[in-house]
Amino acid sequence: MFVSRSMTRGVISIEPHRTVFEAQETMTENNIRHLPVVDPERHLVGIVTDRDIRSAIPRHYLKDGIGADDKAKLANLKISDIMTSKVISISPTYTIQDALLMIQNAKVGALPVVDEENRLTGILSVRDLLRAFINVLGIGEPGTLLGIVVEEKVGQLKAIVDAITEENVSFGSVLVARFWDEDKRAVFPYLLTQNVAHIKKKLEKLGFTLLNPMDWYLDQLKQDEKPSAADD
Amino acid sequence: MKKTGFLFDERYLQHKTGRYHPEVPERLTAIYRGIDEAGLLSMLTLIPASLPEMKWIEMVHDRNYISRLEAACRANEPIFDNPDNQMCADTYQTALLAVGGILETVCMVMEGTLDNAFCAVRPPGHHAEANRAMGFCYFNNVAVAARYLQKQWAITRVGIVDFDVHHGNGTQHIFEDDASVYYYSIHQHPSFAYPGTGREFEYGKGLGHGFTRNSPMLPGQGDDEYHRLIERDLLPAFAEFKPQVLLVSTGFDAHREDDMSDMKLSTEGFSWIMQQIMKIAAGHCKGRIISVLEGGYSLRRLPELARNHVKILLEG
Repeated sequence: MFVSRSMTRGVISIEPHRTVFEAQETMTENNIRHLPVVDPERHLVGIVTDRDIRSAIPRHYLKDGIGADDKAKLANLKISDIMTSKVISISPTYTIQDALLMIQNAKVGALPVVDEENRLTGILSVRDLLRAFINVLGIGEPGTLLGIVVEEKVGQLKAIVDAITEENVSFGSVLVARFWDEDKRAVFPYLLTQNVAHIKKKLEKLGFTLLNPMDWYLDQLKQDEKPSAADD
Repeated sequence: MKKTGFLFDERYLQHKTGRYHPEVPERLTAIYRGIDEAGLLSMLTLIPASLPEMKWIEMVHDRNYISRLEAACRANEPIFDNPDNQMCADTYQTALLAVGGILETVCMVMEGTLDNAFCAVRPPGHHAEANRAMGFCYFNNVAVAARYLQKQWAITRVGIVDFDVHHGNGTQHIFEDDASVYYYSIHQHPSFAYPGTGREFEYGKGLGHGFTRNSPMLPGQGDDEYHRLIERDLLPAFAEFKPQVLLVSTGFDAHREDDMSDMKLSTEGFSWIMQQIMKIAAGHCKGRIISVLEGGYSLRRLPELARNHVKILLEG
């Protein structure tokens, strides 16, 4: 799961002496929101986002229109004037997990990818990560998701995988998530089949509890649940 | 009383699937029994299976796919493309007979010999893609019927209603860029059910944008939610599209006793849906409906569901 496999190559960039208007055009034409800024040797020197550009254009211009003087001023505004110079970049050998955590911590929408000489080789955006995760979840392939509650002890997942494999059914993915009972886990096998009725019965016979689909929480503990609700 | 056709043939029982497979010949015998025991057979025009001209199937499926299926059958392979598609030496022939019977039925409806018809065929079709067998389906029966209506009968607006509990990915994909075929499907939400397509934001592509509509339903919903979504999505869409003929992908697997889904549709709920379809057909299609069996696996409930389905077709 390396960044090099998921990043966008042939990344569109801009040079610091270009104008803000040029950057805006480039973004609109290519439907992108991040422009790495590079010097003539493609060393990464900064980044501009669509948000930087919006902030560079004073609000009252939009409201009251733009005079000739202001227009000239804006036309001269350079990328180097508005770019973020302290760029958070990553190397192609970073993992997707690294990138996910970095994007979350730094609250950015994309990470430029640079080689050992700090030369721009790609960019990894939230969009690229989403695509990677659609692949990881296997949801591009036809299948059925099951939700199973298991006790947190060794061998549970194996029992599930064995029971399903015996039926000659392939897995698109298996997620193991936290469950709101502390000593339990929720297992979500994505099975590449329509024929799950028999598998569900088999799992129940083996003592597993199938989750009601409306109670599936893939990403968090059951939220806003008062402690007393467990007694209901 | 309408002139209603009933496509049924014992040869449709010859496609056999393996152990623990729900798509079994007994589904059809249950359907036949339900219609027979209600005394409806004498009111119906019984249509036997027949072989189609291959050119119609080739309008939907790649020739290479068709010959792959034929070869797999001849080699007596137990599965085709994926473990869901379990088969036997008669599967290819049975799938051909299903298509042929449906085209014959469409022909009778278009000539005016029949007003409408129910085609109790196996194997089902709506998951079958142009070059891939999926979800118990081999040839996309309804898609071939739609192409036949376009080419042979010069129909320029075909309406397809798919109320099988699973999304008809094959049918949607085959017509997603075709503005002359409107595909509407109501099904269990793809995040909770096979095949994982049919999301609310899928509206068709290119020229066909706006001629695909999906109503995904969350697990556990029943008659009320079906009413709400059909009234919100299907009825206005088809009032505007004005289909000339309706093809119906009839799946009985949203029934609350069918263990292939988490939906809670009642027997009466199915009747209500069919009545809405009859109203659309009466309004725009001179009553022309060709209903084609897809899923539905509760052997206990299939007789009553098929009986009610046919009764509604007969009574108009």
